[in-house]
Amino acid sequence: MALSGQSKERSRDNSGSEPESISAIRAPSRQRDNPLTRSVAGMLGMGVLIVMFIACLGSLPWTLSSASDKNNQTIGVPRYDAGSPKSGRLPPFWWSYDEQDIKRSTGAIEPTELETIALEQGVSVDDLLSTTSGPLLDEVQPRWPTFWFGSDMLGRSLGTRLLAGGGISLTIGLAAALISVGIGTIYGALAAYIGGKVDSFMMRVVDVLYGLPYILLVVLLAVASNAMVDEWVTHNKAKERWIQKQVVESHSQSMDGEFTRSDARELLAADIELHGQWMDQAVLKYPRRELSAGTRTSLDVLTLLIAIGGVSWLTMARVIRGQVLSLKNQQFVEAARAIGSSPTRIFVRHLLPNLIGPIVVYATLAVPQAILQESFLSFLGIGVKPPLPSWGNLAAEGLGELNTYRSHWWLLFFPCLLLGITLLAMNFVGEGLREAFDPKRQR
Amino acid sequence: MAEATIEQTQSSPRAGIAEQPLMQVKNLAVSFDNGSGPRIQAVDGVRMTVYPRQTLAVVGESGCGKSVTSMSSMQLVPRPPGRFDRGEILYRKENDEVVNLLELSESEMRKIRGNEIAMIFQEPMTSLNPVYTVGDQIIEAITLHQNVNSKEAMKIAIDAMDAVGIPDPQGRIKAYPHQFSGGMRQRVMIAMALACQPRLLLADEPTTALDVTIQAQILELLKTLKEKRNMAVMLITHDLGVVAENADIVCVMYAGRVVEFANVYDLYANPMHPYTRGLLASIPTVHSKLHRLTTITEVVDDPEQFKKLPGADQGITPWWPWNDAPADLCARDEPAGDYVLRKVAKDHWVGVWRTEAVKNDDTSPPDLSFRISDLPKD
Repeated sequence: MALSGQSKERSRDNSGSEPESISAIRAPSRQRDNPLTRSVAGMLGMGVLIVMFIACLGSLPWTLSSASDKNNQTIGVPRYDAGSPKSGRLPPFWWSYDEQDIKRSTGAIEPTELETIALEQGVSVDDLLSTTSGPLLDEVQPRWPTFWFGSDMLGRSLGTRLLAGGGISLTIGLAAALISVGIGTIYGALAAYIGGKVDSFMMRVVDVLYGLPYILLVVLLAVASNAMVDEWVTHNKAKERWIQKQVVESHSQSMDGEFTRSDARELLAADIELHGQWMDQAVLKYPRRELSAGTRTSLDVLTLLIAIGGVSWLTMARVIRGQVLSLKNQQFVEAARAIGSSPTRIFVRHLLPNLIGPIVVYATLAVPQAILQESFLSFLGIGVKPPLPSWGNLAAEGLGELNTYRSHWWLLFFPCLLLGITLLAMNFVGEGLREAFDPKRQR
Repeated sequence: MAEATIEQTQSSPRAGIAEQPLMQVKNLAVSFDNGSGPRIQAVDGVRMTVYPRQTLAVVGESGCGKSVTSMSSMQLVPRPPGRFDRGEILYRKENDEVVNLLELSESEMRKIRGNEIAMIFQEPMTSLNPVYTVGDQIIEAITLHQNVNSKEAMKIAIDAMDAVGIPDPQGRIKAYPHQFSGGMRQRVMIAMALACQPRLLLADEPTTALDVTIQAQILELLKTLKEKRNMAVMLITHDLGVVAENADIVCVMYAGRVVEFANVYDLYANPMHPYTRGLLASIPTVHSKLHRLTTITEVVDDPEQFKKLPGADQGITPWWPWNDAPADLCARDEPAGDYVLRKVAKDHWVGVWRTEAVKNDDTSPPDLSFRISDLPKD
């Protein structure tokens, strides 16, 4: 046949030139510019973030440890909470002080003022001088406390509080982003990979959760966790249950008929004295547990973190589901099946690595989102509770200090500045990573 | 599985020992769920046989069931929506045990996939995972089926890459798929498929996405490897040039059924089904100066074309879904019962209506151990 003759000729021609044509294909050199370092803004953002993280997280042991007074005695208050109201609302030391500030913080009194006071109190100036603690403003060079970033109304150093707050905000941001990325990836990928009705059901769950305001969920979670911690400390419910059980037992021995839990409950409600007797025993059986303030605080933070992480995985799940849906119909998944890979192996080895791009990008964008949510919740008073600082509640405090008569601007400015810089840096990093992982942008 | 046997056949002309078919497709029917509509019968009553060292070319237009047949034999048809309605695909494993591939459990199937039966896909561009080096992917195929450590697997992978003609396999093994050209990627796919020494290779349009020069190289490569490794190849294609060049046996499919099954010489020299004639007539040749090409429709619309089969006077008419069934149709009460794949000449089967004359024809698969390589060299 003419046809087969043609193809024979064709293949013969090619087999002759094959070696040259193949050796022309060279492995590309590996010294190509690294896509991760290409984005200048991204690198800059990364640098800022690293500095921020080292400063805030690295200083946590210092800021959370107990402060000491002038004589190097620990005073049992963490550094972020230590300060004297006397030195409250001082501006940063490099900012212009006003006399009032100096007087308040040093306790110094002006000579003219001294006379007025002496006159009012009906004592001589010398007598007054011997009783007042503060030095005279013109004779003693007053040493007032210097604050890099000013102090708040309780005289606590804003710098220390910013560091501690940054540590807390960043921790919450990172951990919440990790939680949300973890749940979202697994959930979305599984939904898409299993497909069919399971997928529909799982995604409807996401839709429903999307519909709920997340503040509501966070508040519910916070309340629930508080109740759980309370029960753990006081055993109130366990005590009641124990008392009811004892009452039931004692009655069932003496009475023939059925004596149920609800009967016991009624009896105890009516007979307060009986309840009191049992309660005395119950208290002995269930002693109150102690929970240090630090543990309590970390539990609060943990709740907040779970709450934020637990509600922000929804977007992630949707993004990942879309990715997996398109990936699982790619031929390499079919090819993996054809070489005998199990579904689990395909999922872990072939699908998840292909999701790294979107996961990393989303994670870098989820961190600032989580920080922002934490700040927002703290601002509303649901999140991190004072005196524990976070950038959010520091800003909230600062907002109250802003007034037209005397604006303590630093209290609002610095928390917002740090928050802003961090969010911006993270967005730059996320953008840079997205470019680096986008195969269409390669080379 | 006890009653599952592969029919005994002619002995091999060269070896003189009885040769067993490697795979036999018997009455395969696969349908797909169509949502609200009726189920779509992708494949119905397909029969074919593949022998070791043989290249069986499955030809037909898009949607005729070529790929479904090959995917079924690896249980890669997505189920649901797909469903194996009936039939069996008997496969003789390396230890001579005959299994029905449609009935194996997923875990048993995984031992077959890649190990006994391998597959090459149509799109070399998307068949490789972009996040792994090609070496990783070949090694994965090896370690899934062979009990070797990573160093040995690496060596096998390098050998496999060398065997498919990838230059500098040591260096290229660390390269990513996007650093390869289409033809090289297809070679990687073949290396992956061959790394475990499969006994049957399903090549689902292996060269469609490649340009003709690479196409020729890849097919030549498959041919060489087939001879070297005693491997059977099921070549799915719609390129009749490729078929003429590479196949031993041709199986022409239409609308989910086999319409003609013959050795490659017989089929090209003497096509018996009007559809096959139409296919061949529609290929332009270098020497013909035609204003327009003959279309398949022109051939199959001509009633005269359906009266050329041997035994046409007894009412043996080629099956064609768009024609009215003959008046003396004796359809059996079973799916695809109006059709039978009849042996009309030596080594030549044609799908015909099950009329009075062929009422009692059995439905055993066509069976042809012919190989071009076994012919005496002149």
